[in-house]
Amino acid sequence: MKTSLTILAAFCFLATPAFAQQVNPKPAKRDSKQAGFFQTLVDMAQPKMVKVFGAGAGRVDGFATGIIVSEDGKIITTQGVFLDGREVRVVTSDGVSHPATILNRNRVSQMALLKIDRGTPDYFELTTDPVGQKGDFVVALTNAFKVADHEEPLSATAGVISLRSSIEAWLNKRDLAYAGELVLIDAITSNPGAGGGAVIMGDGNLVGMVGKIINSSETNTRLNYAIPSSVLLQFVNGELAEATQKETVKAAGNADLGIALFKLGGRSDPAYIDRVKRGTPAKEVGLKPDDMIVSIGGEKTATVKDYEQALLKLRPGEEIFIIVKRGRELLRIAITPTEKKQ
Amino acid sequence: MSEQRAIDLKALNSSSLLPSPLEGEGLGVRGTAAAALRSRRFGCLLAVFFVLSLNTPAIAQQPDAFQTMMLTAKAFRAATEKVQPSLVTIESYGGVAAVQGRIGGIRKQGEGNTTGIVISSDGYIVTSTFNFIQKPPVITVVTSDGKRHTAQIMGQDNIRKICLLKIEGVSDLKVPEMVAEKEVTVGQWAVSIGVGYGDMSPAVSMGIVSAKNRIGGKAVQTDANISPANYGGPLVDIKGRMIGICVPMDPQSQSTGAGVQWYDSGIGFAIPIDADSPVIKRLKEEGVEVTPPFLGIKLMAVPELEGLWIEEVVRDSPADKAGIRREDCIREIDGEKVSDMLKLRQILNRFESGQEVELKIWFEETKEVEKRTLLLGKPPKPKDGPPTLEPPKIK
Repeated sequence: MKTSLTILAAFCFLATPAFAQQVNPKPAKRDSKQAGFFQTLVDMAQPKMVKVFGAGAGRVDGFATGIIVSEDGKIITTQGVFLDGREVRVVTSDGVSHPATILNRNRVSQMALLKIDRGTPDYFELTTDPVGQKGDFVVALTNAFKVADHEEPLSATAGVISLRSSIEAWLNKRDLAYAGELVLIDAITSNPGAGGGAVIMGDGNLVGMVGKIINSSETNTRLNYAIPSSVLLQFVNGELAEATQKETVKAAGNADLGIALFKLGGRSDPAYIDRVKRGTPAKEVGLKPDDMIVSIGGEKTATVKDYEQALLKLRPGEEIFIIVKRGRELLRIAITPTEKKQ
Repeated sequence: MSEQRAIDLKALNSSSLLPSPLEGEGLGVRGTAAAALRSRRFGCLLAVFFVLSLNTPAIAQQPDAFQTMMLTAKAFRAATEKVQPSLVTIESYGGVAAVQGRIGGIRKQGEGNTTGIVISSDGYIVTSTFNFIQKPPVITVVTSDGKRHTAQIMGQDNIRKICLLKIEGVSDLKVPEMVAEKEVTVGQWAVSIGVGYGDMSPAVSMGIVSAKNRIGGKAVQTDANISPANYGGPLVDIKGRMIGICVPMDPQSQSTGAGVQWYDSGIGFAIPIDADSPVIKRLKEEGVEVTPPFLGIKLMAVPELEGLWIEEVVRDSPADKAGIRREDCIREIDGEKVSDMLKLRQILNRFESGQEVELKIWFEETKEVEKRTLLLGKPPKPKDGPPTLEPPKIK
């Protein structure tokens, strides 16, 4: 009995890899009966999307993509000059054109909320919880390069979520004023017409809305991103404060460390200390000429310019850490700025 | 746990939606069964149980597309997490001030942090030379444990666009698992990873391996997004094993920035490396520079003439030293006939300066074909002019 079982087991065991091989090397031919993952998603999402037409330069109406976010016909889209015309029209996926009213516009997050007088069961429910995590497949449904006219369906591009991150770390104010969380994706959406498009997760939920084209000064590349669903919800509910705006340097700018930098090479040079003034915090903690300042208060100071900007954010009396490079050593030193002598 | 994993793998394997079967097919099943067999007492029973419990449902019900895709996404995350301890953030300080106008196909190189990957536990890090176009005088490296170290540029390979950095005072850095180039297949999943967006949590981009043996056989081509945000970072397979280092590449040009114009556009390159390969070993020495080959001849394709006609020979160049003169004709290089300039470039892409190459030349003077061996030289430094992206000088 035991032997026969073993033989059977061995047989099955040996047969397993062969079975696997039979199933696997099927060429990429797709089963037409089994609706594809992306196909299902796109079919489900198309009726929840609209095109927004407004004032444009010349005879062609400027337009963007929009996402229906409520039963009563609220539509979220990107903010832009095309909304400034006398009339804004929304074309739903069935090709019907509706007049729209603008409920709200936000110049910081670059979003606009519109409404049409037609209720619909097809809309994306916005959630406070983040939708999708790094590596998840997504479909971006956009009017890439504005190629879809009138009632023509939007274009689908597939990718994964690359990163969910606050953009503060890697964008500066000249890139985008909005400072909240963004969802980076690897589907290409940084093109004209794509703004206002939807990024959808496998389960059909809305990850976010494709924002306006932005160029990252950190990498000097265009970013493919979405404004997350939770932020859209705040905006729809009128809870998105303009204060999401990046805090401009309003910190007094009157903090002093007592450091004079070596500036002969211009502001793009590394922040080397030229002189340490007597009786200042820098002197107290033992900073020396030729030390190179690597970071202040957690901010990397690649250049003299960076140092000057970081210094403006310090407050007198508030202890921070400064990292300097001395020879090949990196030193982390606590330092408390004093008030600048006028 | 292992049973669950086996089922997951099975589910992933039996899908026809994937661009390619996942590598290591059936491993989960085999591994589980083998483990069961090892404990002899339960061996037979368990084996039967596993075979029944795994195979039958797999035949009966195909996992739906949704489930398959969610599992694949999970595999992307697992692959990223596996390689993450070996990722480093490279920060540079100072350097060439922002150059106005376009260089290397991009308006201006970004100023942000870049990615590198640990290649030895004692502190050698490999990254892309692209990250140092601005010639920063000071470089620091933040390892995955959050510690910052000053780094020294060691050797650089301007053909593969990779260079080594060294950080001191470390002994237990994690070296990523690498996959041998011959095991990489066209069509398999590929995930590119980088920390260029300034977050220690890396950004991932997925695609497939598009081709192998590109650019003189040195690079793997992928459609995963490759950009300044992940140059120097790894391209990994679905198991998190490193296929290569992401670099900008352009078969038409050897300059450091060439290839960046194709960022995020469906074509990207990764250089397969191996910690013990001669390519990496020689870069461990400071100041070593591997440069593209230089023959020193200006060529012209003349109709109805076999080979390429030599229009000009640079004085004191390798060609000059080998006695090649104007109006001679190159018939073969490295045993291959050269019919046009593209073929010549393709062959030369396999070489680097300092190597020897055999040429068959038809000499105008003697009207005979002879073999000559040339010692490939270094291209002369360009004269002053518009900003070029010539590799930064070390030190």
